[in-house]
Amino acid sequence: MKAIDAPGPSPAPLPELPSMDVVAREGNTMTLSMGPQHPSTHGVLQVVVEVAGEIVEKAEMEIGYLHTGIEKSAENLFWTQAGTVIERMDYLNPLGNAMCYVLATERLLGITDRIPERAQDIRILMCELSRIASHCVWLGTGGIDLGAISTFFYSFDVREDILDLIEVSGGARMHPNYLRIGGVNGDLPAGFMEKLDALIVKFPQRMRELRTLLQNNPILRDRMIDVGVIPAAQAVEWNVTGPALRGSGIAYDVRKAFPYGGYERYAFDVPTRTEGDAYARFLVRLDEMDESMRIVTQVRKALDRPGPVMIDDPKVAQPPKETIALSMEALIHHFKMVSESFRVPPGDVYQAIESPRGELAYYLVSNGNNRPYRVRTRPPSLYNLQALKAMAPGNLIADVVVMIGSLDPVFGEVDR
Amino acid sequence: MPSSQTPSIAGTAIDPTALRPPLDDAEIVRIAPSDLYAKLEALRAEGFSMLLDIGGVDYLGREPRFDVVYHLLALPTVAATVAEIGKPRRLRLLVGVPAEETVLPSAISLWPSADWAEREIYDLFGITFTGHPDLRRIQLPYDWVGHPLRKDYPLRGPGREATPRPPFALKSNVPAGTPPSGKVAAALQKQIARARGQDVPAETDGEKK
Repeated sequence: MKAIDAPGPSPAPLPELPSMDVVAREGNTMTLSMGPQHPSTHGVLQVVVEVAGEIVEKAEMEIGYLHTGIEKSAENLFWTQAGTVIERMDYLNPLGNAMCYVLATERLLGITDRIPERAQDIRILMCELSRIASHCVWLGTGGIDLGAISTFFYSFDVREDILDLIEVSGGARMHPNYLRIGGVNGDLPAGFMEKLDALIVKFPQRMRELRTLLQNNPILRDRMIDVGVIPAAQAVEWNVTGPALRGSGIAYDVRKAFPYGGYERYAFDVPTRTEGDAYARFLVRLDEMDESMRIVTQVRKALDRPGPVMIDDPKVAQPPKETIALSMEALIHHFKMVSESFRVPPGDVYQAIESPRGELAYYLVSNGNNRPYRVRTRPPSLYNLQALKAMAPGNLIADVVVMIGSLDPVFGEVDR
Repeated sequence: MPSSQTPSIAGTAIDPTALRPPLDDAEIVRIAPSDLYAKLEALRAEGFSMLLDIGGVDYLGREPRFDVVYHLLALPTVAATVAEIGKPRRLRLLVGVPAEETVLPSAISLWPSADWAEREIYDLFGITFTGHPDLRRIQLPYDWVGHPLRKDYPLRGPGREATPRPPFALKSNVPAGTPPSGKVAAALQKQIARARGQDVPAETDGEKK
């Protein structure tokens, strides 16, 4: 038996390798496939990258692994039922999806001006809480991509509090179908305000901790600064919206440009950066969480005033539950609403909202029936993700993960 | 074969978009497929820097059968504040596409973002775009047959639509006509009493969870 410490033959000197530039110049590229089962793609995404050494030359993406035909399903449901499948598109921001669909339907019905103020306030509250919860997931998973595991626990703690609030108001943590055409499904329950107040007190402290952990962390800065740069002009032509566009300097926010659902009553700023890299998008999202909490705090004051939370219109609203046991008319009304729903006048409408990922919009067409004729989503994740094709070339392959994380795509929405 | 769940469309010539004044902020323009590319080029030069979305609608029974809808937005292409952007112009371009010739020019040379949008229309509606460098299915598998968002494509797919859905059977081990009893009846009576404004008896410990 050969002794372990016996000196082996001395290794031959390594041949001098050409530098990375030379490899690239000779067209010596390699095609790699990342995903579709890859932890850092935040879902099921396949990225086929052509690399020269470690430098990405071309990135092509394969999507559709999560296609569930939600648009087709929605065409076969009543206007009231379609909201349930639509909430499943962007599963990190279900209430935002519902908000957009409900606003679009209300425009078709012509009842936009008659929605009670309290219902509008509750909707805004839910949308902004969802935005914070969605950014918490982005922060947690984006941190894991970069090796910062502990961020996940800090941010999911905040998200858990918000999901608790959504659960007590709507009955479910993720897809409560709480926002309805004409208002919201029932007023906020007893105990909600105490929980919300506790969150409002706790949140700034949590944000300070998260910022201390991340914002000036040298590893994170090294990984994100000058990575995935997309200049303003390129971002616009690649149809990038939301925090990614504002990270490139264009302060386009649908809540400011086309105010909807009562946002004009609340004061908030639109955080913007001009660098256009992953770090700029990271800072914009962090600032946005603070701005969302600013809106939540204002809405909290407005919610002290009681009022109706559903439109006073029996053509759209279901009768109150208590009356069904007493009144035959209410029972018939309820039966008609559940079994036939209501008809929506023919027409088409494009309604956009600012989702955590960008301009989310529904293009709805009604032919006068009790089911939508066409439900077209403008998915912000799809177009933001597409811009990776413009962003990735010239970067390191390890940074592709950072770029996907900084665009924050949700594949329920990309594939629908 | 139309889907069993989709109600049949009343009449043949439906065009909901022409029936009402615009409901949103967008200016609406209807255009023929032959003029589409020139119009898009002019709009791009005019300042519509963002092609927000391309959508499709199948008006089965109408002539032309399809509508392809371009949503445009005029955003500045340099860094701008909220005040500088103000309320950017929106425009909606409706293009009628006849069923016999489902071909449109591609907008990919004007806006690179048209790439995936056009592939999706091709995938789900079967409308092809000339000049698109890589027109293949995007959401569905490459070997899929048919275009699911067309109205004559059945909801559950052509294969499964042939077999009827099993009828829903309401199964209950309580014989019909049995009066309600137990907790449900008690809860209902309590609800009725509360609605009438009567005093509701306090819950006993046994009733509480």
